Amino acid sequence: MGLDTYSVLLILRIVLVAILYLVILRVVGVARREMRVAERAPGLVTRGKDVVGHLVVIDSGSTPLRPGARLDVEPITTIGRSPTNTIVLDSTFVSTEHTRILFRDRSLWVEDMSSRNGTLVDQNRITAPVAVTPGTILQVGDVRFKFAV
Amino acid sequence: MIYRRRYRWTEMWLLLFPAAFLILALLELELTQNASTPLTRNTLPPVDVFTPAIGLMIALAVTHVLLNLFAPDSDQTLLPIAGTLASIGVIMALRIGSSPGFDVPSLGTKQLAWVIVGLGFCVGTVVLTRDLRWVRNYKYTWAAVGLALVGITLVNALRHFNTNAPSRDVLSIGPGGFSFQPSELVKICLVVFFAGYLSENQEMLSAGSVPIGGIKFPPLKQLGPLLFMLGLALIIAVGIRELGLALLIFGMVLSMTYAATNRMTYVFGGLALFTVGSVLAFSVFSYARVRLAIVSNAFDPNVATNAGYQIVQGLIAFASGGVFGSGLGLGHPTFVPASNTDYIAASFGEEFGFAGLLALLGLFMLLVFRGMYVAIRARDPFNQLMAVGLTSVFALQTLVILAGNLKLMPLTGVPLPFVAYGGSSVIANFIIIGFLLRLSENKA
Repeated sequence: MGLDTYSVLLILRIVLVAILYLVILRVVGVARREMRVAERAPGLVTRGKDVVGHLVVIDSGSTPLRPGARLDVEPITTIGRSPTNTIVLDSTFVSTEHTRILFRDRSLWVEDMSSRNGTLVDQNRITAPVAVTPGTILQVGDVRFKFAV
Repeated sequence: MIYRRRYRWTEMWLLLFPAAFLILALLELELTQNASTPLTRNTLPPVDVFTPAIGLMIALAVTHVLLNLFAPDSDQTLLPIAGTLASIGVIMALRIGSSPGFDVPSLGTKQLAWVIVGLGFCVGTVVLTRDLRWVRNYKYTWAAVGLALVGITLVNALRHFNTNAPSRDVLSIGPGGFSFQPSELVKICLVVFFAGYLSENQEMLSAGSVPIGGIKFPPLKQLGPLLFMLGLALIIAVGIRELGLALLIFGMVLSMTYAATNRMTYVFGGLALFTVGSVLAFSVFSYARVRLAIVSNAFDPNVATNAGYQIVQGLIAFASGGVFGSGLGLGHPTFVPASNTDYIAASFGEEFGFAGLLALLGLFMLLVFRGMYVAIRARDPFNQLMAVGLTSVFALQTLVILAGNLKLMPLTGVPLPFVAYGGSSVIANFIIIGFLLRLSENKA
């Protein structure tokens, strides 16, 4: 019972290409499933510490910070010369407790702690708490930062 | 950290597809040898014919088991995708090698050996880069090693100066004539360097602080090393006459810079630089002029029989394949020069048709998609940029060679990842897969 070789070849030809498409379909299926799982569990990507944003050093002034360094912003972040602060700026232009950053209503707020040289947000000296967004420039004494996500 | 020691079932199931592909493709290859006789139990191929297929299946299975041990949480689709592409490569090498007019029956076995070595390197990468910090801390060393490799090749090439050779990118080692293409490894070294450099200077490069003509440029301290390394890499790539490699490095650095800074300025600036570079290359290198001229007048009778012979034959191969192809083993891929390396896509397109070619493109697309997914979920900027850079190498290579084959842009000899015949390229690509597996294992 000889099966015509050409029909076998035709079937093989179709099956071979079909296998390639099956690989694609299966991988897409796996990817979809993974994405759905990732969507359901947003906690998967969070890090250990509660970080709500970053401060990027643009101008380190007279502190030993490295320009470009990323500092974590926590829900309550204090900036000043005293070592009790979250972010310590060792500069004579910075007061002991200079500036406070708070996380309220899904937004970051910058508040001056009645410092001697003041806190500047986008080059304006602030007198009341100001909401900031990524990209905002913050100046504390002679140190300048940029807010980043 | 919680270890989820689950078996990689998804990967195992997906690996059954390349296994089935290998067996059936070999069956078809055997049947085409005596296509005129009807199929009976006696004409079925003997079992030992399937040795190469079984060899590759075992290699993939062993890799799968080792990944279960060393990187149980890593991406489960990368190995099956790469495995399928490598299976296509082995089958095509086997098929082309045994065709009359080519007569290198061992070609398939050789490619199989390279794939197995590549899988070994892949697992080795996964194991050795368990802590990626050592990779990152030696970024300048990596760049130096990479460029030194190509530098040696360049010096070697200049000593035996031959103006007719289109490429000087071969480094022979030892008396056995074992040679490899350093440019394949250079790509990985450069990705490591740029990922390390960009992740450290990400903020300064994206913020910019020196305004020149309305646009804020980053200070020279941050921009300088970036431009210097890019320039050096490009000069060396052009020196060994690998314009394709230069294009690849340039595109890779551009995608990584864009991913790191999210600034379109770099993309536009890069494209402007690229235009200047192309015009320069065009006016300096005669072979670049020839390649470009071929694209515009390939079918001119004088060109089609000389400089444009390969590209015209390639197009004819694609065309004769049609939508469903001639069938594996039933085409004439060897009519095209370099049918097993630069023109592997034409050989594949002739025998598997447009349908097969589209599936091949789909596989590469998925590879890039999964690579970018690894990047999104990676732990820190360095890991993310590594994934972006390595993935863009696959994407750009596929784009450059396929567009070249289809006469959409000047042809440059870049191997089609995993499919094209060649040890260096297969090994380098599997090292990249190893890195991506490791990066997906170390996710945040």
